[in-house]
Amino acid sequence: MPAPLAAGRPPRRAGRLAALGRVDRRWIFLLVGASVALPLLRPLHLPIGTSREARAYHAEVERLQPGDEMIFSFDYEPDTMAELDPMSLATLRHAFSRGVRVIALTNYAGGPGIALRILGQAASEHERQYGRDYVFLGYNPDYSATMLRMGESIRSTFPTDHFGTPSAELPLLREVDRYADIELLVTVTASALAEYWVIWAGGRFGQRIVAGNTAIQAVLIYPYYQTGQLAGFLGGLKGAAEYERLIGRDGAGVRGMDAQSVAHLLIVCFIVLGNIGYFAQRRSARAAGDAARDGEA
Amino acid sequence: MKRTGPVLLGFVIGMLMLVQHFTPDRWIAERYNNILDWKQVVFGLTLILGVVSLFLYHWRRIARREEGWRYSLLTVGGLAFMIGAAILFTPSRGPYPWMFEHVQAPMQSTLFALLAFYVASASYRAFRARNLHAALLLSAGVIVMLGRVPLGEAIGLNHISTWILDYPNLAAKRGVMIGVGLGMTATAIKIILGIERTYLGRGA
Repeated sequence: MPAPLAAGRPPRRAGRLAALGRVDRRWIFLLVGASVALPLLRPLHLPIGTSREARAYHAEVERLQPGDEMIFSFDYEPDTMAELDPMSLATLRHAFSRGVRVIALTNYAGGPGIALRILGQAASEHERQYGRDYVFLGYNPDYSATMLRMGESIRSTFPTDHFGTPSAELPLLREVDRYADIELLVTVTASALAEYWVIWAGGRFGQRIVAGNTAIQAVLIYPYYQTGQLAGFLGGLKGAAEYERLIGRDGAGVRGMDAQSVAHLLIVCFIVLGNIGYFAQRRSARAAGDAARDGEA
Repeated sequence: MKRTGPVLLGFVIGMLMLVQHFTPDRWIAERYNNILDWKQVVFGLTLILGVVSLFLYHWRRIARREEGWRYSLLTVGGLAFMIGAAILFTPSRGPYPWMFEHVQAPMQSTLFALLAFYVASASYRAFRARNLHAALLLSAGVIVMLGRVPLGEAIGLNHISTWILDYPNLAAKRGVMIGVGLGMTATAIKIILGIERTYLGRGA
């Protein structure tokens, strides 16, 4: 019969392992900071594959012909810029390089600043002219009414562009006025707006739609992709990196992939360590309880 | 009348929005567009209401010198500055876009980036395989997290991750969506028929 453990004293090894579940959170913060910063400073150049969703998104833009029109909706604010800016920029670069004309807007009050910066950068790189090759309609309150109303008339929904120019005076908007005139709608969003575009612009008007989403949101729009209501989508920074690879122009998405890989791995390590600590703690607590009961007996 | 009027209005507007889906009638299409325009106007007014409410709330805190009133002062100051800058210089030029680019955008991005630290800390503390369900959830989370980055792709986890997203995730999400859709339809019918009146306020 094995000798009973001393009352209240857990096994030494289990006690050591239990300490893994009590790491000070400042160490965690420090390691997370390092796991993001170091790969950005010294890239690992991990290979980046492309998902079928990203390939479908790319194919939708690729099939557009010079002179075709695209609606591009910047449906996010600065909080998710780091994740979504790369896919917005890559998409606009791709569209402008193919001679596609872009009608941009935003459904967020904080969106115009982002839209102006990215549109300006992509347009100047490809020498696109405002009014003829692209327009920015700005922010319109109430996204549901905006999405539905644009199916009837874009000029009525946005009587002026972001700068106050009457829409009817913009050469691009003289030629197109509703979804029926638009080949593709792109929404880049951190919220459920991709779903609303699908319901109101896609369901009611048959508009072809692709979406760029944050990684969290991407999981929620899989059903729309499977049914074909979304023709393609990009999920998170990884989606942006895949798209950058597909258009052959690396940007912030590809640069961020190493950091994201290491950070994800670190979080998984923390989860594993936390669980080892948890089980060791449980084991030692059980052993201590058994020993105490044996002592009482 | 105080109760009947809004219920009747809800019925007429609700029926109009329902019927317009099924008819190409021009008159109904025009009324539908009118309603959409009004919806935008009402939404715009709620934004103004929000700004006024925010201002009054913080103004009261400043006037009473409540704890943290200096933060309220900063909020009111920021609000007044941005409104003033937009009116005086337009939102496209001058201090308004500058403040957006150099103050609002970095602050919002920073706050969001802090999530990475808290997610890491929270997953370390709370993500425990306490029972079979928790263990399954944990395994799925780990596989999807690794499968969505190049490191996971290198060891083939992306295929398992895609399977999880395509089948278990899709089934659950679709079930939730159908449930929500049925709930929304039922609530809409109840509002149109005047059965659901909580939107009229207490005592309706």
